[in-house]
Amino acid sequence: MTSADISVPGRVAERGSRGLWGDAMRRMLRNGPALVGLALITLFVLAALLAPVIAPYDPIAGALVDRLKGPSGAHLFGTDLQGRDEFSRILYGAQISLQVGVVAVLMGLAMGGTIGALAGSFGGKVDAVLMRFVDVLLSVPGILLAIGIVAWLGRGLPQIMLAVAATTTPLFARLLRGSLLGLREADFVVAARSLGASRWRVLFRHMLPNALTPLIVAATLALATAIIDVAGLGFLGLGPPDPRTAEWGTMLTDSTRFLRQAPYLLFFPGAAIVLAAIGFNLLGDGLRESLDPRLKR
Amino acid sequence: MALLSVQDLVVRFRTHEGTVHAVNGVSFELDAGETLGLVGESGCGKSVTNLAIMRLLPRPAGYIDGGRVLFDGNDMVTMEESELRSIRGREVAMIFQDPMTSLNPVLTIEEQMVETIRAHRQLSRDEARRRAIELLTRVGIPHPETRLDSYPHQFSGGMRQRVMIAMALALEPKLLIADEPTTALDVTIQAQVLELLRGMTNELGTSVILITHDLGVVAGMTQRVNVMYAGFIVETGSTTEIFANPKHPYTVGLLHSIPRLDAEEAAPLIPIEGVPPDQRHEPVGCPFAPRCAWRIERCWTDNPPLAAVDAISSPPVLSGPQATHRVACHNQPTAEEAVAGRPLRSGFVAAPPPAGFVGPQDHVVEHDDELAAYAARDAR
Repeated sequence: MTSADISVPGRVAERGSRGLWGDAMRRMLRNGPALVGLALITLFVLAALLAPVIAPYDPIAGALVDRLKGPSGAHLFGTDLQGRDEFSRILYGAQISLQVGVVAVLMGLAMGGTIGALAGSFGGKVDAVLMRFVDVLLSVPGILLAIGIVAWLGRGLPQIMLAVAATTTPLFARLLRGSLLGLREADFVVAARSLGASRWRVLFRHMLPNALTPLIVAATLALATAIIDVAGLGFLGLGPPDPRTAEWGTMLTDSTRFLRQAPYLLFFPGAAIVLAAIGFNLLGDGLRESLDPRLKR
Repeated sequence: MALLSVQDLVVRFRTHEGTVHAVNGVSFELDAGETLGLVGESGCGKSVTNLAIMRLLPRPAGYIDGGRVLFDGNDMVTMEESELRSIRGREVAMIFQDPMTSLNPVLTIEEQMVETIRAHRQLSRDEARRRAIELLTRVGIPHPETRLDSYPHQFSGGMRQRVMIAMALALEPKLLIADEPTTALDVTIQAQVLELLRGMTNELGTSVILITHDLGVVAGMTQRVNVMYAGFIVETGSTTEIFANPKHPYTVGLLHSIPRLDAEEAAPLIPIEGVPPDQRHEPVGCPFAPRCAWRIERCWTDNPPLAAVDAISSPPVLSGPQATHRVACHNQPTAEEAVAGRPLRSGFVAAPPPAGFVGPQDHVVEHDDELAAYAARDAR
């Protein structure tokens, strides 16, 4: 036996002191599907950020002579009816999807989070009123609610963001309220109160951080839904007001008329939507598994 | 004047199945520096009493329905929330049963300790940190400087309870309420933690209310005991007196349901038959009557008040080592009966329930876990 075999007593526990996030990170890196999701999303984000740099053509102006050309060396994903490069449009479309998706989910998180936090920490009448409002939102199918809001407020990116945010709000509100209600009687919350912590300190320092991880997971998963919702609105003709804007859902609608001549026009935007949604779903599931202490292996 | 005076405290819980009469007019006093044990089986109201004292009952279900809790002369029942907050932690602190769940899992020990100290004292972050290190050293945590940066899950159960003790005593409170502080720990660690608790509270002169169902802990740690049953204090007195001369059939039952290492011969354990009453019903008569071997007819209808065991003319002493031994019983077991654990009077039969009495006997027997385990062991 060499001296290297002898562990130093009292030092054992320090090896693992990377904290909650460090541990979660480590578990995440061992999770295959989550890494695939992470890769897809990295690709998606890079496409969005670097679109102006890597796009070979202008996404809006096309050359009519090049219309409806199949995939080739010159046009990787082919061209559409107006001769615009499909690959460039997919890259710019990622920008719209990412931007609208992220802003919408953040807005939903803010609205739902506020409602949930108020309901969960105050309880009683506040809880009852707020949750009935959430129930109303929840009783309308998400995409219908979004269509209604866009139809009501008019077309435009901010309206789309708000519409998609409204569909995610009830989810976050219920989730946070549920976690907070459970945490209200948690031993460490009662213990913190018994040591004189104020109501706000208990809420912000003890309850919210413990309710955050399911919210992060739900937000990641909601991004997938948001991207599909944005595309859905675009597909239904409620996309960005400028019809020339490269938006995946709108591109899908445009392509349906040339299904026979140019099936690739359906394939590429469809694949982009599916891959982005799958990416966020895999990452969300991976995050859930890494962050939930009950799934600790 | 007593440090803490609980007067006729009543606690109720609103539930879907009706109102639960959790605590039914409990009164007791506690002197500075005194250690009081609160014993009874699960659900007898011992924890609820103390949560009520701290005004930490789970809302909106639990509420105080009467009585006063005078701490240093101020009534904590009617106190403003802000006033209460300045008392919690600084004047009265609590330690909970399960050290695995009573620390916040997402904050480091340092964040939690420093936060508690700074909530009540005007100290800089560094000063508070130094105080935390001092406290961790005092409770026997090795390498406190590095362990401060650890998260609760990196500590063992015993170590976490030491951290809890350090936090609870950080502000040198006058009263410490320890709710089954060692129940979740294994036996060897239990002894260490209790020893630490006793050492530190002695040093600081802290009064302690120790909630437990472990009579061994009561015997070793407390000067005085309240025995609780179904939300009532059924017997109270100095610890030595209660152990030597139990006067309530329930206390007798408790003492006979634990094995004694010093017994001269293997005495059989006598389990307490039946189950505690359904506390959704307004208590009528003595709550222990349905399970009591000594009950007489009157017990079914008339709940006896807590009265001095020996007839005395002067008012009873409520706290301190000279506290009067008081019991709530119409038909107290004699010394011989207390030793035997059953009535010895020839021809005595426990009075049958009056016509129309709905008791808890029909329910599934559900003992306090520990008592059940002892009973099962004895049956083998």
